[in-house]
Amino acid sequence: MTMSGELLTGNLAAAWGARLAEVDYVPAFPITPQTEIVETLAGWCERGDLAARFVTMDSEHSMMTAAGAAAAAGARVFTATSSQGLLYAFEVLYTVAGWRVPLVLVNVSRALAAPITLESDHNDVLAARDSGFLQIHAETCQEVLDSILIAYRIAEDQRVCLPAIVNMDGFYLSFTREPVSRPEPDRVRAFLPPYRPSHLGFKASRPQALGVAVLNSVGYSHFRYQMHLAAMNALAVHQEAADDFARLFGRRYDLVDGYRLEDAEDVLVMSNAFATKGKAAVAAARARGRRVGLLRLRVIRPWPSAAITQALKGRRTVAVLDQNLAPGLGGILYQEVAATLGGEPDRPRALCSFVGGLGGRNIAEGEFEAIFARMAEAGERGRGVGPILLYTEEDRRQMDQWVTIAGNR
Amino acid sequence: MVRIRFHGRGGQGAKTAARLVATAAFLEGWMAQDSPLYGAERRGAPMTAFARLDRAPIRERGMIARPDLVVVADDSLLADPAAHVGDGVEADTVVFVNSEQAVTQLLERAPCPGRLLTGDLTGLVLAQLGKAGALSGPLGAVAARLVGLSETNLRTALVMELGELGLPVPVIEQNLSMAHACFELVQPVPLRQNGDRPGQPASLRTPTYEPPTSGTARISALANVTVRKTGGWRTFRPVLDPEKCIGCWMCYLHCPDGAVRMTGATHPLIDYDHCKGCLLCVEECPTLALISEREAGLVRRSS
Ligand code: SF4
Ligand code: SF4
Repeated sequence: MTMSGELLTGNLAAAWGARLAEVDYVPAFPITPQTEIVETLAGWCERGDLAARFVTMDSEHSMMTAAGAAAAAGARVFTATSSQGLLYAFEVLYTVAGWRVPLVLVNVSRALAAPITLESDHNDVLAARDSGFLQIHAETCQEVLDSILIAYRIAEDQRVCLPAIVNMDGFYLSFTREPVSRPEPDRVRAFLPPYRPSHLGFKASRPQALGVAVLNSVGYSHFRYQMHLAAMNALAVHQEAADDFARLFGRRYDLVDGYRLEDAEDVLVMSNAFATKGKAAVAAARARGRRVGLLRLRVIRPWPSAAITQALKGRRTVAVLDQNLAPGLGGILYQEVAATLGGEPDRPRALCSFVGGLGGRNIAEGEFEAIFARMAEAGERGRGVGPILLYTEEDRRQMDQWVTIAGNR
Repeated sequence: MVRIRFHGRGGQGAKTAARLVATAAFLEGWMAQDSPLYGAERRGAPMTAFARLDRAPIRERGMIARPDLVVVADDSLLADPAAHVGDGVEADTVVFVNSEQAVTQLLERAPCPGRLLTGDLTGLVLAQLGKAGALSGPLGAVAARLVGLSETNLRTALVMELGELGLPVPVIEQNLSMAHACFELVQPVPLRQNGDRPGQPASLRTPTYEPPTSGTARISALANVTVRKTGGWRTFRPVLDPEKCIGCWMCYLHCPDGAVRMTGATHPLIDYDHCKGCLLCVEECPTLALISEREAGLVRRSS
């Protein structure tokens, strides 16, 4: 197999996504592991490679406010953040979503403090899942770039008009180079028409107020529900965009990404970069005779209930491996998958919940094998298990050692 | 259950009035519940407050759509459609309006389907305090009297609620004596006992997507603040004595509604169509060139 394209980190791929989308405005604030994205864009803007206005802001809160305001004024806006930065921008996420401004925000997932760590899990981006932003979660550096283009196309569609987050894992994608093929700018222009939302734009002679006070619960319900309907429209709009994208660039993206599902009796559900490891584990388990498959959740908002149900109904066991933790509940995506299947008459016999990869902790092949074994047992019993943390004897020994060094024993 | 709805303007004391009657009823052994609905929290803007009193546990919350008793802090509210004083008022609803005018006079200007009563609480406050002041004590007292609560419990409620607001003892004393006057002003009225009415099953409708031009909370119409006249909010108006004015612009600077214009002769000109009567200008004028005058009559829009 010959490789085309070039080696790019996820961060570079994200910067290229913004550049190929020919964005007009980039408000920025640095935060590891995202900084390389805005540094790259800053350099391109300075050298004139990208005809965008690049502005460094005093915080992510200001950054998101500026991003929303510029998008409302009619600019195509790109910005990026990570982890604590996303949380600092949090109230503005809801605000700009209510303005219905179709900007794209790349979030480079990193586990939230405290305690502090630098590697990825998804509590940051999932905290924003109810904000009204669309969410596309990428598995590869190529998918980061492609998803940014797709995200603009969906977000700017008049049937949607909502901002979008494209998510990638810190370190595992952001700092990892792998082959990425860059789309031709002319073809990108054919895929992504100019930004012209009907309700936005700036005209000095014609002032308008966005996101006004309604001070009235009927008006509030109406507009909030319009956001829901807009997000639901994104399911069909995504498919149209994905079809055009496949035609123009030869790469196909669906709402969910199935791997070896055809005759799988047990299916593991994952998202983001670690799904690559999950696919390898499925292939290895298949070689040992287990009929397993993997479903990767790609578009998380809107939630593609029909596609998920279609992929998971009739299976013996479905397990969700969440790379996040809601203390006091368990895995977040497990809840959503279980709720989706709850109304399905042909639902799996057993639903299982696993939590792993917190703070970027590796998930070893042997751990996947342990998951598959538990799934098979659960399916035979007809009763699910979980949440089960991927935590080994070795983890325990290491913890004992650190607690001793920290002087706490 | 007795459902009482107070209508006032921001700053007039309707919220505290609702607390007073609820506390008095609670002291009397009733179940009670009270809550305010502020709206835009703009001084002078119409607002409402609610009190529910019952012998049994109260299984209602929030706004009162069909009140048994309505207490209106000022007759100007009757003429303000944004105040919704008449909402849910039926023939057997008792409506008390603070007004100098008699029932027949009021009815000529503002038809009211309920059983209308009036009394001049503002006059009482002016006589007692020597100046304009919040109406919470008198409004609460009138409501307590109309539903038949005892003066003793109302007095305790006044001391508790006004004390909690941090009012000085002399002001509380004045409110106690105003409350006594209110107990003489009105008599308990028979309130309807059949206020409960079964709800009709709602017919739910499925919302459909609208393009963001109409499906987004935005305003693209031109500014219409000049059309929205707030002059009717006034119960007191600022009046200029040109002799005393030194043209210092303080009134202009402090008016929250831009209702003061400085003329070529450097003297202020008040736009009575939009002056809402907050009297900030009167407070800020260093030479006492602005004084407040009580508005007369029901409709007092422009000069
Ligand atoms: S003119 Fe005076 S009383 Fe009228 S709104 Fe302005 S400050 Fe208030
Ligand atoms: S504050 Fe008083 S003295 Fe100053 S301009 Fe206004 S009315 Fe005249």
